[in-house]
Amino acid sequence: MPGPTRRALITAAAAASAIAASPFPSRAQSDPIKLGVLTPLTGAGGQDGPRMLKAMEAVIAEVNKAGGVLGRKLETVIEDDQTNPEAAVRAARKLIEVNKVPVIMGTWASAVTSAVAPVCWESKTFLCTVSGADSITQLPHQGYLIRTQPTSKLQATAHADFIAGMGKKKVAVVGIQAPFALSTKEHLDAVLKTKGAKVVAHVIYEKDKATYRSEIDQAMRSDPDFLYLNGYAPDTVVVLRDLYKANINLPKFCQSYAVPQKTLDTIPAEVSAGTYTGQPSADIEGKAFKLAAARLGIAEPDSYEAQATDWASLVILTLAKAKEATGTALKENVRKISQGAGEKVWSAVEGLQALAAGKEINYEGASGPCDFTEIGDIEGCRFRYMEVVDGKLRFLKVV
Amino acid sequence: MEVWQLILNGLMSGTILAVPAIGLSAIFAVLRFTNFALASHMTIGAFAGFVANVWLAWPVVPSLLAAFLIAGVVGVLSDEFILKPFRAAGFITTAIGSIALTIALENAVRFVFGNELRGYDLPIRRDWVLGGLRVSPQQLENLLIALAAMGLLFAFLFFTRTGRAMRAFADNPMLASIKGINADMVARLVSFVAMGLAGLGGMLIGLDTTIDPLVGFKSILTIFAAAVVGGLGSLPGAVVGALLVGVGEELSLLILQPAYRSAIGFLAILMVLTLRPRGILGARAY
Repeated sequence: MPGPTRRALITAAAAASAIAASPFPSRAQSDPIKLGVLTPLTGAGGQDGPRMLKAMEAVIAEVNKAGGVLGRKLETVIEDDQTNPEAAVRAARKLIEVNKVPVIMGTWASAVTSAVAPVCWESKTFLCTVSGADSITQLPHQGYLIRTQPTSKLQATAHADFIAGMGKKKVAVVGIQAPFALSTKEHLDAVLKTKGAKVVAHVIYEKDKATYRSEIDQAMRSDPDFLYLNGYAPDTVVVLRDLYKANINLPKFCQSYAVPQKTLDTIPAEVSAGTYTGQPSADIEGKAFKLAAARLGIAEPDSYEAQATDWASLVILTLAKAKEATGTALKENVRKISQGAGEKVWSAVEGLQALAAGKEINYEGASGPCDFTEIGDIEGCRFRYMEVVDGKLRFLKVV
Repeated sequence: MEVWQLILNGLMSGTILAVPAIGLSAIFAVLRFTNFALASHMTIGAFAGFVANVWLAWPVVPSLLAAFLIAGVVGVLSDEFILKPFRAAGFITTAIGSIALTIALENAVRFVFGNELRGYDLPIRRDWVLGGLRVSPQQLENLLIALAAMGLLFAFLFFTRTGRAMRAFADNPMLASIKGINADMVARLVSFVAMGLAGLGGMLIGLDTTIDPLVGFKSILTIFAAAVVGGLGSLPGAVVGALLVGVGEELSLLILQPAYRSAIGFLAILMVLTLRPRGILGARAY
């Protein structure tokens, strides 16, 4: 996706030259409020990052057009986390120390978020993420973190229901080394056991290998009747190809981010046959979702675009509510606009108008209700299942 | 039986890795620095092959040739205009310069092709089962192509005048210059062949998986490990090293979780360098 990447480069260059031009930036009220975006433009998340960036920028552009927040325009400072914790920490420090952003939005991989989160809470910067590992919200983040993605536990529970619903009894989990690997397996196993099924093998592999045939052999030794492939797109493609070559035709389940349509287009249809995918569903019936679709000019934003829409909207509304552009103001006020008995609003602009009129608001997002628990998790969400038929994703159901 | 399957898998993946590893060792033998820009040349080769195979609908073998040629030409140009001026400043500066170069080239590829995964236009085939061992026909073909490329390279080095000049230069640059061998020409030639091999290796890896701009960067550390284990600067050493690392990584699965596979390559480096600081075959160019 050269478009967003190019724009990111230009914006970053513009931001850099602005800093170079004014070594002592004045803090006048007319200065734009800088919002940090740290998302994978490259690496395993490179398929989702640019789209999330676009969704955030669309919300921000809409708000700027309507006059901005607190009398100031909004501006994004964009960094690429490279789906790499080390690069991400460097970029996060730059956003915090050089650009002085109150918020960082967009980390995707759990390993990246786990690395960036301490940098954020130590410097009182607010972090919005889609990473699913349970451990993330259990970090001592003091409220400086929210995630719009359901936890691995919520996800694994839903997936186990789906698999057990297909009548499968022996599930082999083959997945990438990642913070969510172990907890996913444990939650899957726990739920499957209540339904007379179980996880019979668990193989964790390393990323970036050209083949996983030995790993597959290891998993097959326990004679499973279903495969749960818990990886990212580059490695899942290799696993699917190796399964086909080895003449293993079991049904398999993947997270939808591991086999987006674009990835399916790169592999022969017979390789992806019998693959089911699941993803936290955006609230496709909701008003915020339809607004996001119109804003982005696409028929159906996916869960990541919906979540990115929600971060930008939540952050903007919280800034307006708190009347202050700091990370601490964000953490202390986000729940005042995201949940509660206030007037329901479905977009940032709408919410800003209601706040200006002195009303209390409750933002209902494109990804779901956006009500957060004390530790920053969403309280619930829907799941959407698809099946791959002839190399195309076909809608199955929303639960 | 499991052990034999693992060894077979290891030999297959090792042979593919040997192709770019030879390139890395060849550059070290002649130009005396580790050229990490090999990673981006693998990517460039993989994408050149993609353009030939998917956009122009060429068959696989001519596409592999395109991967070799384009990566080779880019290799000559990048060495001539970017790395050559670094060489006066010493080994470390040039090696670090090559890391900067590889990131720049990788991003150039990303700028043109974007980030998404791409696949070659190649039907996928089921494994053959021979005597209880599973062999993928694609991997077997890749193996034969890799062996053919290595065979051609060794024939070139031993039986042609230019090849002998290259070996002479790698052995003793001073003496070779006195004998009238043009150092610049040898440098260009080695860059062409080595980066061409990198490009070929990049596409070979991609044939069995998918490609994206990171295709070279993902394997460069393993390739480096292979070259060092075999003896940096020795071409047969690069082959031996790649096979050892490939088989070692697979056999480690007998006792270790797959998640620790890469550790084996680097443990191998530590062990070999402790026992034989110049690698298994030592730092001879042939």
